[in-house]
Amino acid sequence: MSTAVLGAMYEGIKHIFKHTFTMKYPYQKVLLPKGFRGRHLLYMDKCTGCGICAWICPERCISMVPVTDNKEYPQNPEKRFPQYWYARCCFCHFCTEYCPTGALDYTPDYELAEYDRELLLWSPERLSRPPTNIGEYQSVFHGKDGNQGVTFEPVIKQKSK
Amino acid sequence: MSQVSLSREEAIIGQLKARFPEAIEETKIDRARRVTIHFEKDHVQEIAMFMRDELGFDHVKGVAGVDLPTQKKIEVLYFAGSYSNAEVQDFIVILKAKLPRDNPIIASVVSVWESAHFHERETFEMFGVKFEGHPDLRKLLTLDNWEGPPPMLKDIKFPEMGQR
Amino acid sequence: MTTEPPSPGISISKTAEPSTLDVSVGPQHPGSGHCRILIRVDGDYIVSADPDIGYVHRGCEKIAEYRNYVSNIPHLERPNIADAIHLNWGYVLPIEELQGVVVPPRGKYISTIAAEMNRIMSHLYGLAIMQGVFSGHTTIFMWAFGDRDLFIELAEMLTGARLTYSFLVPGGPRRDLPFGFEDRLSRLLDYFEKRLVEYDRIFFSNPSVIARAKGIGVLKREDAKKLGVVGPVLRASGVKYDVRKVEPYGAYADLEFDIPTFEEGDSYSRYLIRFEEMKQSVRIIRQALEKIPKGPIARKAPLVAPEGEATGRVESSRGEITYLVMGDNSDKPSRVKIMNGSFRNLIALPFLVRNVHVADMPIIYGSLDYWPVEADR
Repeated sequence: MSTAVLGAMYEGIKHIFKHTFTMKYPYQKVLLPKGFRGRHLLYMDKCTGCGICAWICPERCISMVPVTDNKEYPQNPEKRFPQYWYARCCFCHFCTEYCPTGALDYTPDYELAEYDRELLLWSPERLSRPPTNIGEYQSVFHGKDGNQGVTFEPVIKQKSK
Repeated sequence: MSQVSLSREEAIIGQLKARFPEAIEETKIDRARRVTIHFEKDHVQEIAMFMRDELGFDHVKGVAGVDLPTQKKIEVLYFAGSYSNAEVQDFIVILKAKLPRDNPIIASVVSVWESAHFHERETFEMFGVKFEGHPDLRKLLTLDNWEGPPPMLKDIKFPEMGQR
Repeated sequence: MTTEPPSPGISISKTAEPSTLDVSVGPQHPGSGHCRILIRVDGDYIVSADPDIGYVHRGCEKIAEYRNYVSNIPHLERPNIADAIHLNWGYVLPIEELQGVVVPPRGKYISTIAAEMNRIMSHLYGLAIMQGVFSGHTTIFMWAFGDRDLFIELAEMLTGARLTYSFLVPGGPRRDLPFGFEDRLSRLLDYFEKRLVEYDRIFFSNPSVIARAKGIGVLKREDAKKLGVVGPVLRASGVKYDVRKVEPYGAYADLEFDIPTFEEGDSYSRYLIRFEEMKQSVRIIRQALEKIPKGPIARKAPLVAPEGEATGRVESSRGEITYLVMGDNSDKPSRVKIMNGSFRNLIALPFLVRNVHVADMPIIYGSLDYWPVEADR
């Protein structure tokens, strides 16, 4: 009984000397793996406007809208492209997988909050912007099998070790 | 499905048919470990008692309703399973009874299978099936002030969710 | 008052004793979702309890009739975000049976690895919040939640999402194991096995935890069978029943593992059974990483299912999940029925929360690892 109490106390006190686990989020961002399902990226030069993405979408957040710009899209003469209503999107990315021409892609952007509800409607032009979110921190085990604790370290620093 | 002998499934069907020659209407072996039995609704408690005491099916995994508007029927499904009898532990026996759609009433099996308690309450709420003899047949999931027909029936449509 | 009620779902509105008081517990979020329990107390003892669920009912089964088979996957796994892959897998199995699609062996192994990782994550969530916080143990909450994040990182690497994976579609998993995944996972398992020893010392062998949980809420074996409870709750009462053994799906038939059981059936053994299951999950993942064959991961499955019905079941972290899927030659199911562990374990709550102290109720609730959203669907 008393040894069990002491064992529990020892186990807790031992952790004072270990590395702290917490990552300081807005200042440090985690490195997201390739294929992370963030917001969508649209390649307008590949999209044929077939609408399979809108058909497979479970939340029906995709609608096909015509685009009014001066560019020519030979593969898409009607100039119809998907538009995302991110208030409903569940980020399953079935649209990306079922796209027959590979016009949709994954991005690591997840900070999609807006002050205005209308801004959650992403037009095809806005969807084709390149991703902006770059994280560089990754979990690292210290000591043998992590008995010194786990921290989040920048990936570049980790490579130089 | 692989070619395995389905003797265990046939044995269960044979026992049930021998005991209830009139009540069992149709039987089917869906695949290995799955048996579907259509029965006449008045014999639900006897069949449940026989299943529990003689065959070792001591609990239900769920009670489901299925609306069949073309046949004007509501089907009640009991998914019986076993913990006690090691030989049929891996089985799901689906007992099906068809009720008239305008007045679906069937006897409750809570006195036999206590595990059916909340499942029957849910089926009562979602399909309007009245389980006679249920100790506490109240609404379970929907709002307290929700009025209207049972929501899982096929003629309750939600056009905003799309075409059906 | 002490007579045995006919059924555990006791109605609270009937015949109140003058000395009793009705208390509503909830419907605030007690750790895993919104749910209310109406309890009738006599002094410090609970006389009867009546779970009033449905606060997070979304009509999943009705929505499923409006969406096609693939589109149903994301919303059918939402009821339990801690255990998404099992809800997903249970839905995919009957569709594959209807369509006659057979998943290639590599796909089965990947699904098994993902599912066992998810089981560890779910049990860590249960250990952190349902068992740690509810018994007032803040340290295990921080530790288990921190270690869960390392598994989430790897799940993110494999599936692309932290919790809502939508990873399995009819035909197989959506992605192959990414480059470097096996190394990172086996390194994490080495770390996690050391952590399990520390969990044992600070939580499971801790006399203050044992004093709170041991002998509280005893569910005897016969009662467990009668009430039809599933999963860890059933196995803590001494019934050896696990879908991974009785009807092996995925790659479980090739892998060696034990089904831990306890005889006591009290809250403490329900705590311990999840601890033992995490050890078994580590063992399963190790074997699967070793044995994983090469080859294709998925077959192409049609978007339409033929007429018929199929039942599929998997062993989720909260017990057996059985799905009934009925097809009608279209791209939408005509009926989907979900019978999940939380809804089936709900019946044990009014049964156990009877003649116990009010302060013991959170312990019993936490030991059941009840997830209201999964039960409400």
